[in-house]
Amino acid sequence: MSQRSAGSGARRSRPGRSQVILDDDEPDVSSQPSSSQVQRARCSFTPQQIEQKVAEVVQFILIKDQKKIPIRRADVVKHVVKEYKGQYPGIIRRAGQTFEQVFGLNLVEIDSKNHVYILVNKLHPLPGEPISMCPGSPKTGLLFVILSLIFMKGGTVKEILVWNTLKKLRVYEGVKHEEFGDVKKLVTDVFVRQKYLEYVRIPHTEPLEHEFRWGARAEQEVSKMKLLQFIGELHNEEPQTWTQQYREAASVESNPR
Amino acid sequence: MSRQMGDSHRRFLQTMMSNGVISSSQASALHRHCCETHGAHYSQEKVEDFISVINAQLQPLFMHIRKGMSEEDGLDYFALVNMAKTDITKMSSDYADNELELFRKTMDLIVDSENGTASSTDILNCADSLQTKKLKKKETEHVLNKFVQDKWLNEIEGEYTLSTRCIIEMEQHMRTIYPDLIKRCFVCHNIAIQGQICENAVCGIKIHLPCVARYFKGRTDPHCPSCNDFWTHEIPEVQQYSSQTLQSQSSCAKENTAGPSTSSTLATRRSRRS
Amino acid sequence: MAESRRRVSRGSQEESAGHSNGFGGRNRTERVADTGDEDEGAGPSGIHEDDDDPARRREIRSQYRDLINSVHQNREDMLNPANNKLIDVLEEANKLFANVRQAREAALDAQLLVLATDLGREKASQLHAEGSSFDPSAYAQHLLSFMGLNRLEEEDGNEDDCSDGYLPPDAWQRLSKRVESCFKTAPSFHYMLGSFLVEPPPPRQRIERQRKAPSKEAKRVMPIQLKKMEESHQEATEKEVERILGFLNKYYADNSESPIPYYDFVIDPTSFSRTVENIFHTSFLIRDGLARIYLDSEKLPCIVPVEEGEVEPGGATTRQQCIISISQASWKEIIKAFDIKDGLIPPPEEPSQEDRQE
Repeated sequence: MSQRSAGSGARRSRPGRSQVILDDDEPDVSSQPSSSQVQRARCSFTPQQIEQKVAEVVQFILIKDQKKIPIRRADVVKHVVKEYKGQYPGIIRRAGQTFEQVFGLNLVEIDSKNHVYILVNKLHPLPGEPISMCPGSPKTGLLFVILSLIFMKGGTVKEILVWNTLKKLRVYEGVKHEEFGDVKKLVTDVFVRQKYLEYVRIPHTEPLEHEFRWGARAEQEVSKMKLLQFIGELHNEEPQTWTQQYREAASVESNPR
Repeated sequence: MSRQMGDSHRRFLQTMMSNGVISSSQASALHRHCCETHGAHYSQEKVEDFISVINAQLQPLFMHIRKGMSEEDGLDYFALVNMAKTDITKMSSDYADNELELFRKTMDLIVDSENGTASSTDILNCADSLQTKKLKKKETEHVLNKFVQDKWLNEIEGEYTLSTRCIIEMEQHMRTIYPDLIKRCFVCHNIAIQGQICENAVCGIKIHLPCVARYFKGRTDPHCPSCNDFWTHEIPEVQQYSSQTLQSQSSCAKENTAGPSTSSTLATRRSRRS
Repeated sequence: MAESRRRVSRGSQEESAGHSNGFGGRNRTERVADTGDEDEGAGPSGIHEDDDDPARRREIRSQYRDLINSVHQNREDMLNPANNKLIDVLEEANKLFANVRQAREAALDAQLLVLATDLGREKASQLHAEGSSFDPSAYAQHLLSFMGLNRLEEEDGNEDDCSDGYLPPDAWQRLSKRVESCFKTAPSFHYMLGSFLVEPPPPRQRIERQRKAPSKEAKRVMPIQLKKMEESHQEATEKEVERILGFLNKYYADNSESPIPYYDFVIDPTSFSRTVENIFHTSFLIRDGLARIYLDSEKLPCIVPVEEGEVEPGGATTRQQCIISISQASWKEIIKAFDIKDGLIPPPEEPSQEDRQE
């Protein structure tokens, strides 16, 4: 019985999803001739050797992503690519394809000058998951509070406003928190290194003051519209109430990077 | 064609990455959820086929979704494991060097024990003699907690055991490192860390607790299935599992039919191994 | 972009404050004039003799500093659209300024004015923003409610709105669960295998086996199966002994002139436990008369294979026994003393390769 209903359920939802399935059927690029073949011919690396390097790069990036610190090209070259350096563009492109095709992740270069990468999810967590796709750490909540504050205040907030707001939530700047440990370090160092936040000195301030902005990872990972919807929910208001913020969220939504 | 990965497979894989290990009933529910979410064909009994599609893609990346039995509840679980030991895999940043050394020492203690457990006292004691960097008692407790949280160890009343996830990923490794200490369960033939050992010293076969419970269920006078000596241990009760248990039991039985579980086949298995 | 523009403007404000005191001062005189009419006791204008009184000047500076401090401290309050605290501060400053005669005090006044302007701009931006303004304090209260704040615990009234009520232990987890759908975070991959160096522990199996030595009675019922198992274990040892003999013969064949120092042969500088295993297995070569150890001119042990035909039948009687003990410390010492760089006996193949192919 359950089988039948499952089958019909799947059939019902299929037409709407056909795009997804078509996407899946895109040619397996790994077996296609690629632009790097010219280079390959010049060097003495076999396709199998390149294949192996691609796999190692994927493995390396996955391991480096454990702590969510962005990955630098220099490190990929130093630890994995090594003598295959000449093949780097081809290798990293293929690694990106593997992330998309196997894991449903995007390998995004967030700094094209210094070549820094992060992984961003192409799939979204959904309600009704039998097991959560992302068993969130309480730190996500803390990060959200700070990011939402910045966004709602027009993109920049002074450090003091962040700490004053957190104080109301029983999180104190200089006090060890049960779940977050050294909060000051988490907020001004860890989140900053992960590129969720930017923490910059305000010039000409005495005593020294800092302000927070969204980091490059937050811009890639966080949906401003979903954020605004939750803020609206909390205030019992429509997201459109905050006209400017709504406009910005909608514009990002319609022009995804 | 059906070997191609779709978003349903990717969602399943991502959930495996986040959770590390899931029970087979969770895997079934997740399989269904993933297929329905992405409009992929779903058939209830095809979980393993579905997983094998993912595994085909993971294989070149030294990863694998592997099935194994829990030594605690006797149920099947799936774990996403790493299969490579390279300079790259050593760069994992989850634990510091001394924390990893503590893990190895804990594993030594557990594998070396008869019943597959190590007491927190013993582990705390060996934290003093770490070569990398000593851990204070308090730090050791913290690290042990982290191992439990990350599902590498289980803890009940100060006794630590290797988790299902750990055994699934580390089985080959343990066979290499402790070739003479690792036994197979006499009943289900899988690797056995936690279990009861036949008191007859020349026999000394090991049986998982859930396997003991099933094997001796309803017998008033239990005897060792190998040497026929009296089985001196307390026989645990078969736990009241859901219908799931029956499924996994039947699959367990199926595996057993691959070869009659007489002592001679077991012996050949063993000699082949070493 | 908006931010950078704002910061530029703030920068120029400060510059002007720093460089053109006279200008700022002039402006202020006008301001004083505006309010001065009602402000009877504001200051004895026109009295110039105490312009240079150091005590008086010090007092003015101290008052300015207090005012600046209080602005810093009550920043949030000042920004609150519901009160006029910012104006109060400016009026206070006006009173002080009436007595300012020298540049040093005027500079403090300018500093305060920069601060006030900044606050005023921020406050204005709240009011003039399209749509609703966003009040962080109200937001915090909403968050607290969402996180399940228990507001019943009120004892000393609520003089400080930070301390009344307490959050349940899962408060942040609850918030995280709700907001995780706003993040497109990639899951990460965690593993244990391969994250540490593999160093097999010294073979304890032996001790284990002895401890479990079968009693006579147990021997009676010893099943065939166990015999097979022991055989297989023996086989493994034999195989390893043969493998090591292979290496010994090879090194000897390569150069039969120079003796092979025993320690060079058995020590694996990368692994203590491998070294112990090598010593153990090599001892079988000696026991079985397949190799012999002798002391060279420097009294250092050397090992050579015993060539075919050299094996004397019943030689056991002529053999001598000796016990070699090695500890981790002495192992390190020997490596250093003999400068051993590579082990002569490579470790047996690791099944980790097999793992990969699986």
